Amino acid sequence: MENIKEYIESGVLELYVIGDLSNEERLQVEQMASLYPEITAELLEIEMAMERVAFNLALAPSDSQKTKFINALSFVDDVAEAPKATVEAKVVPMVNNKNLNFYKYSFAACLALLFASVVAIINLNSNLNNYKQQVAQLQSSNQNFANQVNFLDKQIAIGNQTIGIYSNPDNKLISLAGTPNSPDSKILIAFNAKEQKVSIDLKSMKIPVTDAEHQYQLWALVDGVPVDLGVFDAEGNGAGFKAMKSIGKAQAFAVTLEPKGGSVNPTLDQMVVMGAI
Amino acid sequence: MNTLGKNKLEEHDLVAALKAQSRIGAEALYSMYSGSLLGIIKRVITDDEIAEDVLQEGLVKIWNSIQHYDASKGRLFTWMCNVVRNLSIDKVRSKDFRNHSKNQDLENHVNTIDIQRNTEYKPEHLGLKDLLTKLKPDQQIIVDKIYFQGYTHVEVSEELAIPLGTVKTRLRMGIIELRKYFK
Repeated sequence: MENIKEYIESGVLELYVIGDLSNEERLQVEQMASLYPEITAELLEIEMAMERVAFNLALAPSDSQKTKFINALSFVDDVAEAPKATVEAKVVPMVNNKNLNFYKYSFAACLALLFASVVAIINLNSNLNNYKQQVAQLQSSNQNFANQVNFLDKQIAIGNQTIGIYSNPDNKLISLAGTPNSPDSKILIAFNAKEQKVSIDLKSMKIPVTDAEHQYQLWALVDGVPVDLGVFDAEGNGAGFKAMKSIGKAQAFAVTLEPKGGSVNPTLDQMVVMGAI
Repeated sequence: MNTLGKNKLEEHDLVAALKAQSRIGAEALYSMYSGSLLGIIKRVITDDEIAEDVLQEGLVKIWNSIQHYDASKGRLFTWMCNVVRNLSIDKVRSKDFRNHSKNQDLENHVNTIDIQRNTEYKPEHLGLKDLLTKLKPDQQIIVDKIYFQGYTHVEVSEELAIPLGTVKTRLRMGIIELRKYFK
């Protein structure tokens, strides 16, 4: 018993509790404790004392520490003890399925929409082509119509001009008859001495068609002198009156065939028509 | 310790709950002992952040190695206490921690150093001071160094130049004093 007391008082038990002994010494203490209940009791006393000291020196860890600790662990009993977690676990895949379905349907809807769009585009495109053709037809018929209107306008203008010349009492109509050069030719000239106007009636004009190097030239004979009244072409299907250069008085009119652009003096042997007032 | 609240278990039940790896065991472990264990760690590591990291590491280690705890060889707290104290000392002696301490610029860390060297007034240690002033000064320093700061009795013996036997005796006398105090 003396030995045990001495052993206890040696301070080795405190070191044992603190964990400051070698393996050998530790085993020795454990062996002693299993042999002597006093030593076990003493060890417990020391442990309780240290525990109380530590408890009195406790410092509260920061709030986040507990969550951090609990989260770092995995629990064997979690499934059984936490029905909430189980419910959540069931909910999650359902949500996922829903999402998956949503995407499936979305994809299908997109495809359907794409198909419908393609059909609509083809349809619209053929319609568009039809309309383009129709527009082209309408444009050409419109053009024709406009041309016709223009033509009629021109005709009306020519008619009006003709009527104006015929209805004017100041106009003298002089018929130029064909010379031996061209016996079939004839030209009608309207001469307005008051307004000094000379016009050729293109419609009734009947003279041979010229080549590209020649033109007809109208002359007025004023007191025996030929005066140039301008050049003109023999138009096959002309209409209306063509105004020539002005002149106040004349005794006769004649037309000669001259080089293109006309001559200063008439080439008399090329005279085609002539007529006196 | 004797008042068992919602998150508290008798030691026997706690050990069983921990060994079963149940959530209630973890909750009880934390609410019953995290404060005491942090108190121990803080005696070795003054930095709050590192101390809490070590606490986390220690608690996880306790959780994972609870199968190695043998109730016949001592109380649960004693075992846990040794686990975290060893972790703390390992941490302090680790290269990482030393570098961390070395790399601190002296001028900018006067306060830190004051804290580390315990020259600062620390209200949270009033309890300890009160407690240790119950002891004679030669017991005080040995209890503090061995129990709280993780020195081995050999180291204390060398540092204070006193024989090993004396260290052991003084530690014992100190703890006996503390036992009286808590009776």
